[in-house]
Amino acid sequence: MKLVILGVGGMGAISLSKILARVAINKNLTVKSTEIHGMAKKGGLVEIYMKIGEGASPYIPQKEADFCIVLERLYYDYALNLVKSPEGIILLKDDDKVKILKEFGDIRFANSFILGKFFKKQNIFDRKDAVGVLSAFKMPDKNIKAFYEGVK
Amino acid sequence: MKLFLSGNEAIAFGLVEAGVRFISGYPGTPSSEILPTAIELKRKYKINAYFEWSVNEKSAMEEVTAASYANIKSAVTFKQVGLNVAMDPFMNTAIVGTPGGLVVVSADDPGPHSSQTEQDSRFLAFFAKIPVLDPSTPKEAYEFSKDAVNLSREFEIPVMLRTTTRISHSREDIETGEFNFKDDTAVNFNKNTDRFAATPHFRYLLHKTLNEKIEKIRQKNDFKEYFDGDFLIITSGVSFAYICDIVEEYNLEGVVKVIKFDMPYPINFDNLQKKIGGHSNILVIEESYPVIEMQVKNRENVSGRLNGFVPNEGELTLDVIKELFFKCGIIKERKEKSIVAPPFKRPSLCPGCGHRSAFYAIKKVFKNKAIYTGDIGCYTLGLNLKAVDTVHCMGASVSFAFGFDKSFSTFGSKMPVVATIGDSTFFHSGITPLVNAIHNRASFLLVILDNATVAMTGNQKTPQDKTDSYNNTANAVGIENVVKGVGVEFVETEDAYNIDSVTDILSKAKEYILKSSKPAVVILKHPCVYTKEGLKENIRFEKVFVDKDMCEGCKVCIDNFECPSLIFKDSVVEIDRSTCINCGQCVVSCPLGAIKVKE
Repeated sequence: MKLVILGVGGMGAISLSKILARVAINKNLTVKSTEIHGMAKKGGLVEIYMKIGEGASPYIPQKEADFCIVLERLYYDYALNLVKSPEGIILLKDDDKVKILKEFGDIRFANSFILGKFFKKQNIFDRKDAVGVLSAFKMPDKNIKAFYEGVK
Repeated sequence: MKLFLSGNEAIAFGLVEAGVRFISGYPGTPSSEILPTAIELKRKYKINAYFEWSVNEKSAMEEVTAASYANIKSAVTFKQVGLNVAMDPFMNTAIVGTPGGLVVVSADDPGPHSSQTEQDSRFLAFFAKIPVLDPSTPKEAYEFSKDAVNLSREFEIPVMLRTTTRISHSREDIETGEFNFKDDTAVNFNKNTDRFAATPHFRYLLHKTLNEKIEKIRQKNDFKEYFDGDFLIITSGVSFAYICDIVEEYNLEGVVKVIKFDMPYPINFDNLQKKIGGHSNILVIEESYPVIEMQVKNRENVSGRLNGFVPNEGELTLDVIKELFFKCGIIKERKEKSIVAPPFKRPSLCPGCGHRSAFYAIKKVFKNKAIYTGDIGCYTLGLNLKAVDTVHCMGASVSFAFGFDKSFSTFGSKMPVVATIGDSTFFHSGITPLVNAIHNRASFLLVILDNATVAMTGNQKTPQDKTDSYNNTANAVGIENVVKGVGVEFVETEDAYNIDSVTDILSKAKEYILKSSKPAVVILKHPCVYTKEGLKENIRFEKVFVDKDMCEGCKVCIDNFECPSLIFKDSVVEIDRSTCINCGQCVVSCPLGAIKVKE
């Protein structure tokens, strides 16, 4: 599976990629990722390419990604150039952010939420694989709840 | 245990697992995470080792060389331009050899993404006549680190491990070994002046020994072969992984044969020549310079960088290699598409950064009537405030100020010159040129932007810190003491946030340098707001806001203060709440007083 994550610095895109990697490793799949980020620390684009169960390098040419998780609306149009089909884009909407802030009190739970949205679309992992990894996290209950919120 | 490690983490794991117990280095992207990972391993597994940052790469290289003389397995880490700083000891360490074993980890940055040059460290291994390993994945970085330690120990020769941004900053699932860390380290220095203090008379003998070592390693250095076609591709490093991906995508298993060098120098010329003899089409693809290509004896049927077929600048990405395959007919068609770049955002100092306030005050006093020599670090971005005219290499702000001052005062008339340098960069390379400026009567203003950390590369500690990387007691070296110690008379220290007071001090410094024959030094302190402590202790208002009735949309604040939290929307300026830290420093930049704070 070829997956791209687009986020902005400090939003936890890298943590999200690490969660996914752990899920893949637990399933005995190979996993590779590469991060590209600009010089600006705060607010700059963070671009993460991931290959799960395939490939020699983590690089994904444009229009070749199966999925693209977009954590910032601003990068939606750019994401269209990365995926095979627009169906593969999983966007964290502004409404979702408001909802997460209201319900969970911290925007960082958006990662577990978007993970849920991603899990609904893909077919190589079971939901319990993600729950297993999230259980080892700080505040597992809230993260698992946010995950199922995303799966809904 | 299977871990998801970055190339840099994998290198640290490999080195420590292979018994390396002395690591020094200086931070620099993309190498900076290697040493902190080793430090973490030492802490976690209570390993008896010395892993710590040094003041610069030259010192680091010398420290680890001595450690290897003392029979300790050692390593040094830096980015490729750091190797330039370490060149002097590096060359001699090759000649003398390394009894305990020494791995030189040099991280290249083709692109470049965050460096001055695209240089290929493998070339400098070639130049110094030491072997170099070139991993193609983080997994190989882990394996090759261990191989490098063993090879170095066996031949008493420094071994380079060359990584690139794509390896260092990629991650992969890696099965690591058992961390039981049995310690076989035995410190011991066998004095031998013919070797360790050799006079030129004996040097050619040491050189001869080095030649013998490298020849032995050359004979042992075999390449690996993959696939089975007529078109021969010779490669190493990250390019190999890209080639494998293209072979898979286009089913080229029967079209190309790939020869991969784990060790691109020294290669066994004769073996390679035998292999390539039967092929009429040969392509050499390697990141970044033609190191393998130049070692091919007969290049009659060879395409690469030397005949201009492979571009001689820029990163060799998967897309570039695919294009090369198309150009030479390996692939017949490619999906026609142009590569779209992501929305560009100019890099900028963080909102609330004390450097911005410093640059603002400097520009206020010196306007456009000075030459601004900058340096390497976050404050390179003083460019955006038009307070940086030159950026060259570590410490060059000070020596460039010297050169401009002497040029203008000798061949024209006195020109004010303002140098800006960070605290860590000052310790790294700024002190020596300041000594020269004092002795040779140059006068310029040196502003030391002191945020008490190496911010650009991940907030490592500087020699000013009271503690080391383990939070144990260290001796803090005071910048002011150093500056006064070398003979600077005009020395003032102020918090960069106190813009009015800073402006006064800078005005006095300006007067001073125009009539004095000594440099003036102003130290502007403000903790980095990118650190937890810095942000916590930073002064802040309840809210910084723009009075929309007063703002005329002149954008003077955006142009002169250049904070990314000041955004222009609907013909007025407003504050970007998602990035603003409410420091209130921008207030002074509005000529109409429209930026206000709520206490």
